Amino acid sequence: MVQKDLQTEPESLDRVDGRPKVTGTATYSAEYAVGNLAHSVLITSTIAKGRIKNINAKAAEESPGVLAVISHLNSPGVPGYPPAKQPAEPAPVGTAFRVFYDELIYFNGQPVAMVVAETLEQANHAASLITIGYEIATHQTDFEANLSKSAVALSVQRSKNSPFQDYGRGNPEAFDAAEVKIEATYTIPTQHHQPMEPHAIIAVWEGEDKLTVYDKNQGVKSAQGNLAQAFKLARENVKVNAQFIGGAFGSGIRVWPHTVAAVLAAKKLKRPVKLVLGRELMFTSVGYRPYTVQKIAIGASKNGILTAMNHEGTGQTSAYEEHLERTILATRAMYACPNVFTKYRLLNLDVNTPTWMRGPGDATGMFALESALDEMAFALHIDPLEFRLQNHADTDPERNLPWSAKSLKECYELGAEKFGWKNRLPAPRSMQKDGMLVGYGMASSLYGFHRHPSKARAVFSRKGSVVVQSATMDIGPGTGTAMTRIASKILGVSPGKIRFDLGDSSLPDAPGQNGSSTIPSVGSAVHVACEALKTKLLKLASEIPGLNLQPDQMTIKNGRIFNLTDASGGISLSDVLKYHNLEQVEVTEESKSGAERDQYSMYSFGCHFIEVHVSPLTGEVRVKRVVTCADVGKIINYKTARSQSIGGIAGGIGMALMEASVMDHRFGRYITNDFVSYHIPVYADVPQIDVIYVDKPDVHVNPIGSKGLGEIAIVGVAAAIANAVFHATGKRVRDLPITVEKLI
Amino acid sequence: MQEKPQGAGDPDDESLKSDQRLADRRLFLQQSIAIAGLSFAPGNFFGGSEAFAEELPLGDAEKVKLALSVNGKKHRLSIDPRVTLLNLLREQLGLTGTKKGCDFGQCGACTVHVDGQRVLSCLSFAVMQHGRKITTIEGLADGNQLHPMQEAFIKHDGFQCGYCTPGQLMSAVACVREGQAGSEDEIREYMSGNLCRCGAYPNIVNAIMEVKNNGQKV
Amino acid sequence: MKPFLYYRPKTVKDAIAAVASHPDARFIAGGTNLIDLMKRGIVSPEKLVDINHLPLKKIEQKGGFLRIGALALNSEVANHKTVLQKHPLLAQALHAGASGQLRNMATVGGNILQRTRCNYFYDTAFPCNKRTPGSGCGAWEGINRMHAIFGTNEKSGQDSCIAVHPSDMCVALLALDAVVLVTGQQGERRIPFGDFHRLPGDNPELDSNLLNNELILAVEIPDAPLTRHVHYLKVRDRASYAFALVSVAVALEIDQNNIKTARLTMGGVAHKPWRFPEAEKIMTGQPVSESVFQQAAEAAMQGGRALEHNAYKLKLGANAIVQALKTAVGKA
Repeated sequence: MVQKDLQTEPESLDRVDGRPKVTGTATYSAEYAVGNLAHSVLITSTIAKGRIKNINAKAAEESPGVLAVISHLNSPGVPGYPPAKQPAEPAPVGTAFRVFYDELIYFNGQPVAMVVAETLEQANHAASLITIGYEIATHQTDFEANLSKSAVALSVQRSKNSPFQDYGRGNPEAFDAAEVKIEATYTIPTQHHQPMEPHAIIAVWEGEDKLTVYDKNQGVKSAQGNLAQAFKLARENVKVNAQFIGGAFGSGIRVWPHTVAAVLAAKKLKRPVKLVLGRELMFTSVGYRPYTVQKIAIGASKNGILTAMNHEGTGQTSAYEEHLERTILATRAMYACPNVFTKYRLLNLDVNTPTWMRGPGDATGMFALESALDEMAFALHIDPLEFRLQNHADTDPERNLPWSAKSLKECYELGAEKFGWKNRLPAPRSMQKDGMLVGYGMASSLYGFHRHPSKARAVFSRKGSVVVQSATMDIGPGTGTAMTRIASKILGVSPGKIRFDLGDSSLPDAPGQNGSSTIPSVGSAVHVACEALKTKLLKLASEIPGLNLQPDQMTIKNGRIFNLTDASGGISLSDVLKYHNLEQVEVTEESKSGAERDQYSMYSFGCHFIEVHVSPLTGEVRVKRVVTCADVGKIINYKTARSQSIGGIAGGIGMALMEASVMDHRFGRYITNDFVSYHIPVYADVPQIDVIYVDKPDVHVNPIGSKGLGEIAIVGVAAAIANAVFHATGKRVRDLPITVEKLI
Repeated sequence: MQEKPQGAGDPDDESLKSDQRLADRRLFLQQSIAIAGLSFAPGNFFGGSEAFAEELPLGDAEKVKLALSVNGKKHRLSIDPRVTLLNLLREQLGLTGTKKGCDFGQCGACTVHVDGQRVLSCLSFAVMQHGRKITTIEGLADGNQLHPMQEAFIKHDGFQCGYCTPGQLMSAVACVREGQAGSEDEIREYMSGNLCRCGAYPNIVNAIMEVKNNGQKV
Repeated sequence: MKPFLYYRPKTVKDAIAAVASHPDARFIAGGTNLIDLMKRGIVSPEKLVDINHLPLKKIEQKGGFLRIGALALNSEVANHKTVLQKHPLLAQALHAGASGQLRNMATVGGNILQRTRCNYFYDTAFPCNKRTPGSGCGAWEGINRMHAIFGTNEKSGQDSCIAVHPSDMCVALLALDAVVLVTGQQGERRIPFGDFHRLPGDNPELDSNLLNNELILAVEIPDAPLTRHVHYLKVRDRASYAFALVSVAVALEIDQNNIKTARLTMGGVAHKPWRFPEAEKIMTGQPVSESVFQQAAEAAMQGGRALEHNAYKLKLGANAIVQALKTAVGKA
């Protein structure tokens, strides 16, 4: 099924959009030169729950340059919202937030008004002149204080087949009966994506029924659908552009209220409106990785065989929506354990709705599971890696299916070798260097395989160039580069003659960029489209008399079709089209999963080996060395893949050591609302990182044998660091982040 | 255009020098006028930005005048003094290569060179840059010929989403010029003011090391 | 941001007059903190007096002291030959602060006058006595992990402030017995560094004892044999580009393994850079040893007062002092 010529390649493509990115000509959402543009600023609530009593916007409206102050009092209304009730009634759980809809406040930082002015300076100043009166209701934002109110999600209660139903296999008393037991609670605080580009939109109406947005999001097609629905427009009348996205990590999977607000403002003013979220609004205007508490109980035999794993996870969500994550799901599939029980609960709080953040659920769940495994290995006096090998799952223990492919053992072996795991002394605090406590830690990783129906168009033109198109995205991994590589290999055309178009809702259907699904889905579509185009070109060539091209001998290389037996013969692709008097040859193909989903269990696997140094006096932790190894099937382009893996480690370092969105619950408001108070890793926090890929195609998942990489890159990293910190210090930190006060 | 190191000056930029002389004279005139209790009537604004706003009524501050050079091109502008250098570049001059990541000096995405030194354009009012030479990412390459640091970023894949990249590049060039690219650790410390959420740091360190070790003029 | 007038004086006298003649005027130099505060509406001056063109940039050795002009950039000072030779502690502290870009913008005067980084101060939706006197201290019963352990009292919650001064440079200047030279309409005066900043007391809105319309001209550091055994240690939540949880400046004069002179100051622990005369006394005349460092560290933390989230600073502070001292004598 897999093409031979997609096998391991020595060289990699440089990023195809490298030049615009290093010269500053790459255009991001807020940067389109649109005429007559008005600038806007969002005003957000300063209470967590209650209602707006009044909005005094007079001074703002009279301020120089101000075009409008928009709120629920004068919003032109979103046609897709049901009519607001008088008096307002709280939205039932399951309702996406409606912007400028009524006077109710659901969370601190909720958009309540918007100023539109000729310049940004004028809009900002006017925003500061608006005063809002609130009627304050008692809010609940404190997860720990409200944990007892957590419950099975309503959506799960309604869906018998939900994976988030309580799950069990084997004997529920196995834990009690275990020879050795570990029980612990792990906490992950709220963490925010904080891509370097703040979310931004330029909304342009053309008459009453045509809308164009330049919007930061991770799926132009879903954004198109959402906006069409919200504003009751024909889908084809909504055009969404998002060619360059300055990072997202999940923050752009949904269409957030601020996008709708800008579209509303542009509609009301009948002129283009730009809205760029201030960094502080990036904490409440988009989602976040939810605060999650996990209880894990693991039982094992004295010789190191897992006998029981009970995993209960509770995550926070808003009062109006449910957000569910895979938190406890990995525990069912990761190890060969006969007795496994999981529960998943949600806690509704007066906060905005969380969303998926890199490695959603699995990064959270695997922090707990892989920490607990380390605790058990320590209790058993078994090497943590050996313990994992002893409990390796040769088939999926949850679904009782064979894995489509799994080279985790090879990952362990390659990673351990490269890292020098054998040099690890087992006892905590037993290794030191230059006055620092040295710790070696490791953890496994996994991520589910996601593939969605996708289309791609491939066009060969007589000039010898190829254009491949799909409405997929690039939030940073290098989508265009990977797709160019796939097309180049199949069509025998040099990458420089291929252009890949993405980030435009008018292109052929593709899923949003999430769940590590782009390469598996769109890569497959590009593959089949290019194969179809190749077939067409070969057929056209074979019809040309006198060339003696043999169907079973034909190949394409460097833009020429020839018989394998006669590399000097043949014809250029351009001449094939010339002969047939064609300007271009075009195909559009779709690719999607089939029955293989029911025959195999599909996951990516991997592991991380990490060395930390901890200052014995100050408790500062520095990650000194990382070896990360992943089995994600076929690697399409090493250079960009490697960068993605490094990025996952950097994200994991942040998750483990510094990232926490802290709320003052008296106000239900974050006190961390900028890059001074919400730390993300800087250069000095991130060492050189060794990246290893098994790079074996998974022949069952799709025609390219590739499983996607973005998510698994971060899964398990926090646990590997926490485990290394334990090894360095003897202190087990179960509440992230691992800051100095937890170690001194 | 290849950016010139600090102090090298731009031989073509006579006008800015004479602007400064004009400015000095104008300042003198301004002070004299102020002493005489006369209000200032804007005339030939170029070079006359000194002491301009003093006489403008509050709330009508859009008319502060400013002359500066951006990537070798001279601009004579009349601006709201609240406009930061970053917003001037992005919203008025169409130079959107300089990025707004936080607008509070906490991320480095807005890094530009002012008279050859790396600074944060979000924490400076444009009017404070009168008479200065600004270089942005758009001015780093010499026409089609990329700056060695740009080449190295591409070669080492020193970016993913690309949003922080212009700031990283401006900072990386400055880091080498400042003599603070002697080792990987030194680069990590002196580049730490440029955040990258994609985590391209190790690749950028490799790019900077290569440029430094090649001894290319930056 | 409120519209403002902009004025660019050429002389110190003109600058002082320009600020004095307007009820709500401010000097602006590097702008790295003021513009930040103006964007958030925490300060809203109606007039900015841009002092960047005043002749206050010089760094020069005078008889017995080094004078650093108020407009000298942090990066210029940090890399200045005389500073590196005679006051390496100051260079270390400056390099530990902010980032390459910010050090190229921030001036010495501005660094001294920078406002706290307390989250409650920066977000106008929270109460803050420093920003809005009488509104209460958000941090007192809030999230006070970053806050002061010295110079606070029971009253801090209602009327006062538990924020810390964020500067690194100032911690070193305090240890080096620097003097701040200021001028105003009443003429010049010299303020010992320890008296420059103030405790919040009944006026938490005031960070320093600089009078209205006064301008910092320079900082003077007296010559002292504190070059070899110095160290600035900054403990923070990430490896660089973060404000200190605590920082320690130590400078020792050692004669044949005996401590002749000791200077010990800290940042991140009080509303002003904090000096520990008792701990300095404990070390003076003692041999260089970890136990002496330990005693000094314990003495230093005596009287520290913990709040809900910052108790760790008492232990971290002591440990950091020991670490800094060990590093300063080359025994880390």
